[in-house]
Amino acid sequence: MHIMEGFLPLQWCVFWFALSLPVVAYGAYKMSKMMKANREILPLLAVSGAFIFVLSSLKMPSVTGSCSHPTGTGMGAVLFGPWMTSVMSMIVLIYQAIFIAHGGLTTLGANTFSMGIAGPIVGYLVYKGSMKYGINMYIAVFLAALLADWSTYIVTSIQLALAFPAASGGVLASFEAFLAVFAITQIPLAIVEGAVTALMFKYIVQLRSDVLVKLDVASPSIINKLKEMSA
Amino acid sequence: MHDLLDDYAHSNALRDTSPRLKLLLGLGAILLCVASAAPLAPLFIAVTMSLITVRLAKIPGRFYSSLLLIPFSFSLLSAAVVAFMHGGGDPLFAFSIFGISLGIREDGANLALLLIARTFGGMCSLFFIALTTPMIEIFSVLKFLGLPDFLVELSMLMYRYIFVFVDQAAMIHNAQVMRLGDAGVKNSLNSFAMLCSVLFLRSWEQGERLIVAMDARCYDGKLDLMEQAGKAEPRAIFAIIGYMVAVAAIAVLTRDIQLL
Repeated sequence: MHIMEGFLPLQWCVFWFALSLPVVAYGAYKMSKMMKANREILPLLAVSGAFIFVLSSLKMPSVTGSCSHPTGTGMGAVLFGPWMTSVMSMIVLIYQAIFIAHGGLTTLGANTFSMGIAGPIVGYLVYKGSMKYGINMYIAVFLAALLADWSTYIVTSIQLALAFPAASGGVLASFEAFLAVFAITQIPLAIVEGAVTALMFKYIVQLRSDVLVKLDVASPSIINKLKEMSA
Repeated sequence: MHDLLDDYAHSNALRDTSPRLKLLLGLGAILLCVASAAPLAPLFIAVTMSLITVRLAKIPGRFYSSLLLIPFSFSLLSAAVVAFMHGGGDPLFAFSIFGISLGIREDGANLALLLIARTFGGMCSLFFIALTTPMIEIFSVLKFLGLPDFLVELSMLMYRYIFVFVDQAAMIHNAQVMRLGDAGVKNSLNSFAMLCSVLFLRSWEQGERLIVAMDARCYDGKLDLMEQAGKAEPRAIFAIIGYMVAVAAIAVLTRDIQLL
């Protein structure tokens, strides 16, 4: 759900930049500290960022027939945590604006907030919460990706509604209208992305489960249990 | 998917112009677009920026017009919502579905047109930057502006690997299609998930190899960039300043003129 270049008025562009930049700066600070402790992180983060970009530019098979792209926010949050994801999202969003004309530079702040901050935080909390209650990891991943997508879409609707409140009913009425219009594409899309992300984790567990352990996504005991189940 | 805008950035006719100037022109136009209160200035920017991109930078017109379709669906959909939800003034027309009456009033329609104009002005300026300035030169400008080294580094490595993974994704996808991996919804979902996971694992392994390769070459956390492009000519600087002033003047003079 990218907001296109030029769609938000200047004051709202500034407002969303002011909200997202501190978060991204904190993420960058954490990232630089991790890099000092462990130099191997930089190349791995770089290839992961490139992977998120490529993933988000692929066309997902969609039920409605319209072409649609996964956001990868939920997956990023589960794998790397929300802080890292916010920095990588911002870089990926700049690439998306300049390479494939999704989103824009003045709307970068708003898009970073919805896709790089709100979505990943929700996804991360959902994933950690479900794992704590012992829910199957694939279901936890599905829920994380699904809810990350939905919260991205809700935040985008809020951003548009705040910038363009309705004459009667104000921000709330406008919010409902944006929510309803984008629901047609976003609700099925998020379900598809959730399913794809969960399936993706299934393949990763089968092929290279050590990567997941290294990223602290799941403990070895959980992975062993999952492997036994599928075997 | 395969026509990344970056391909044109390396071969257009404005390739050797100073990247700072090109960024200044593009970003300045975007900001003026967003700040203008009436649709005429953004429309002027959209037309002039398109002319600059197609005439001066010699980007193929057909390719450029296909790009303009990208912002279409989002801007029309969102502008429609704004048109219905916003405004006072005289109603232009109204109808009702499911007992809810919907109408477009004058203010709403004007705001929607303004938004569409701004989006197109902004997108045309963005296309100008994307199609004339290679990413590496944008980085050298960012570095000049004081972005931390490791972020520039991270972005550059990402940039490099985007092309590697795009190729790999295309190859995996072709292999899947040849084996009927896209037959039916269930199959295509499964194939897509397989593609993503293999791509993730390949990129991870690529990253592990990259560490070794960089260590072997004594990488110490800094890759140096050379800003290759030429210096800004005074003529070009004056032309850009003149253009900005002209657009700003149009925006101020036409701020009360609405299309409806």
